[in-house]
Amino acid sequence: MARQRRLKQIVAYTILFFWTLVVAIPTYWLVITAFKLPQDINARATFIPWVDFTPGLHAFQDVFIRQGLVNSRPFLNSIVVALSTAALSTVIGGAGGYALARFPFQIGRFSNDRIAFGFLIQRMFPPAVLLIPFLLLYRRLGLLDTLSGLVLVYCAFSIPFVVWMMRDFFRTIPVEIEESALIDGCDRVGVLFRIAIPLSAPGVVTAFVLVMIGSWNEFLLALTFMFNKAVTVPLFLTLQTSVQYGTQYWNMAVIAIFSVLPVVIAGLALERYITRGLTFGAVK
Amino acid sequence: MRQTTLVEARPAKVGQSRRRLEISDVTFKWILLLPAVLAVIALLIFPFLFTLGVSFTDWHLFNRGAPINFVGFKMWASVLSSKYIHTTTLNTLGFVATAVPIEFGLGLLVALALNEATRGRSFFRVFFLMPLMISPIAVVFIIGRLMLHEDIGAVNAILMKLGFERVMWLSDPMTARFTIILVDVWQSTAFMILMFLAALQSLPQEPYEAAIVDGSTALQRFRYITLPLLGPVALTATLIRGLDAFKVIDIIYALTGGGPGQATESVTLTVYRTGVKGGDIAFGSAAAYLLLILMALFAFLLMLAMRRWVRRTTD
Repeated sequence: MARQRRLKQIVAYTILFFWTLVVAIPTYWLVITAFKLPQDINARATFIPWVDFTPGLHAFQDVFIRQGLVNSRPFLNSIVVALSTAALSTVIGGAGGYALARFPFQIGRFSNDRIAFGFLIQRMFPPAVLLIPFLLLYRRLGLLDTLSGLVLVYCAFSIPFVVWMMRDFFRTIPVEIEESALIDGCDRVGVLFRIAIPLSAPGVVTAFVLVMIGSWNEFLLALTFMFNKAVTVPLFLTLQTSVQYGTQYWNMAVIAIFSVLPVVIAGLALERYITRGLTFGAVK
Repeated sequence: MRQTTLVEARPAKVGQSRRRLEISDVTFKWILLLPAVLAVIALLIFPFLFTLGVSFTDWHLFNRGAPINFVGFKMWASVLSSKYIHTTTLNTLGFVATAVPIEFGLGLLVALALNEATRGRSFFRVFFLMPLMISPIAVVFIIGRLMLHEDIGAVNAILMKLGFERVMWLSDPMTARFTIILVDVWQSTAFMILMFLAALQSLPQEPYEAAIVDGSTALQRFRYITLPLLGPVALTATLIRGLDAFKVIDIIYALTGGGPGQATESVTLTVYRTGVKGGDIAFGSAAAYLLLILMALFAFLLMLAMRRWVRRTTD
């Protein structure tokens, strides 16, 4: 029994070690690339700092100082879009989720579970189906290449997700607390703001962060509707690969690191809660 | 801060205790839900139906002034008989059928290992989640551009040091397909790990205890207890990941642009190329609906399998 156990542990840690390498090596490669000089990238592959190349900060100087103004635009755009989308869809979707968790609804033959499922299904639809109507609409309304246009279409995709997720979250909070507050003379709005929202703060934050990550990373819709003023970070990264005078891998590595850092930090900090959001409540 | 008099003056019944703001439950609940419902109808359902409508016309954006005619299933016929669409549909199906099973297998393996691990489990769990947070475009840059660069990438450099031939990751059609799958696997296996680990940690302990008492081997317990209990989660994970894989575009657009030729182009990329860039919105709409139908079929088959699974295990 003890031997079997030991064997199992050895196999398990071999697998874990292997997968750690798979995840870590590219990450390491990205980080060292940011510190390489052009000749250490273009001439041959170099692996270890101070052994086969001398690390330097020239790429950081390039990205932040020489091209600082050009580079800050997509980042500012992405921050604005991600935060507004997250705020709007958390408010609208959260309200919907709360309503579906606490009140009985009947729309035709659809009661709460069916309505919630209706929201979930939206999430599965391919964005390809939405490209054309939004393109026509945005051409007409002058929303092409504007941040508000991007926020609007991102909200369309994230609201159903937030509704589903927040309904799931509100349902885990015992309704008795809210009932006793009602009896004590609190009104419905007070119950929502003073009891339900504070109690479900982790859920609200998770929904906010997940939507933020999603809009920060989204590519296809940004590619379709944005081209110049309102370019976001992922779009900016792809545009950089096709610069005329060859890709500047060192600069791109710096940009990639800073495009990845905020979402990785936010995601890993909330890892526990995010699991539930990402699995659509399929796993508790 | 409790207003004792107000509360006492009021009967302690839930139904009558909220007159102060003069909104009834019915009004209140609709105020909460309506924005979300309206947003979905206006921004999702209406556009979906609009696209369906466009697919029955000959609407072309760059034919300014030309009348838009209703042409019935003509556009659908041209989509279904187009060689271009055949190629990209097969590419998409091939991508789903290869990437998802690989991610499934690797994800299950790593999750089982994580479940066995006694030390450092939370470190591994958090670390393995990282690729899922990163945008596919950044993943393409890290894996596709830096690691797998044909001339200056780390992988080719190591392969050549070991005496192998340089691999043309992107310029050969078959290898390019494989490279795209590789990039996707690096990123999305994390999702499978997440799902399976959560499922493994919520498995009931009793069957295992009983099986140990009955003198079973670890392999038997895995085969006859763990695997059947994982069934529903496995199907759900495949459903979510599979539907996502059908929509693939970011990786392909950034890595190969659909090439070489059209060897790696997905249906979503075709919709973007023909409908958005090419202005042939009728063709693009029909192609988008073709993708939707394929996804619905995939979801339907998996749901059917799930129902059958549940019936078999409850019998």
